[in-house]
Amino acid sequence: MVSSLIGIHAALGEIAIFAFIWVFIELLNPSEQRIKRAKKAAVIGVILFFMSWIVGGYYYVNYYGKNVKPIIKEGPVPWAHEIFTETKEHIFLFLPFLSILTLGLIHKSGKALIKDKKTRSSILTLTFLIVLIGLAMAVMGYLISTGARAALEAKLL
Amino acid sequence: MKINTKSLIYATSLTIILATLLTIIAELSKLLKDFLASITGHHWVTKGLFALIIFIAVYFFFASSKDYKECKKEIYSVIAITIVSSLAIFLFFVWHFLSK
Repeated sequence: MVSSLIGIHAALGEIAIFAFIWVFIELLNPSEQRIKRAKKAAVIGVILFFMSWIVGGYYYVNYYGKNVKPIIKEGPVPWAHEIFTETKEHIFLFLPFLSILTLGLIHKSGKALIKDKKTRSSILTLTFLIVLIGLAMAVMGYLISTGARAALEAKLL
Repeated sequence: MKINTKSLIYATSLTIILATLLTIIAELSKLLKDFLASITGHHWVTKGLFALIIFIAVYFFFASSKDYKECKKEIYSVIAITIVSSLAIFLFFVWHFLSK
């Protein structure tokens, strides 16, 4: 049976990425109102990354390890687990902390971001990095699913 | 609560560096990986809790220190640390797979 937890984990993570794309857009040309919205979007992003961590972690520990990992490792593309699951599960740990940092920086800088272009650029770069890592998580998730599918197809055919 | 960006930057940087080192060293040392697993039942859960504890501890340790007036360079340092750590983890697992 396919666990629905992986879908929930992916959805939470992807909405968190959208929240940080929203932060990025608000900070491109900030006003007081846009900075307020950026803070709200960052709070949403932080909460969703933590939820994605908990749901994904529960799935990984209680389902993936017993049901999916052995299938992928015996299949035609074991690197899907050996490289991409291993990389994904560890780099993911950076996201909640980077998102808290971004929220803290926006909160602390506040209205000053309207005039302080250099700090704004650095926060924009940090936000862009969060989005990039988030997208990398999605791509690695796809590769891991492909590894599981390839293994199941090899068993059936 | 007043946010201290200096301690937040220290906490994030150290958490990422230590989580990366712990990940790589635990893969090379079965003894350490087993020890991590023995704490919570799974090595990855222990690493996550370790990261969370380090982040909170480092933040509160430096929370009362004098904050930065501006911190753009430090933000770029966190970005560099994150990129290097991510590449280190990815390249380590590529090497680990190829060397089996």
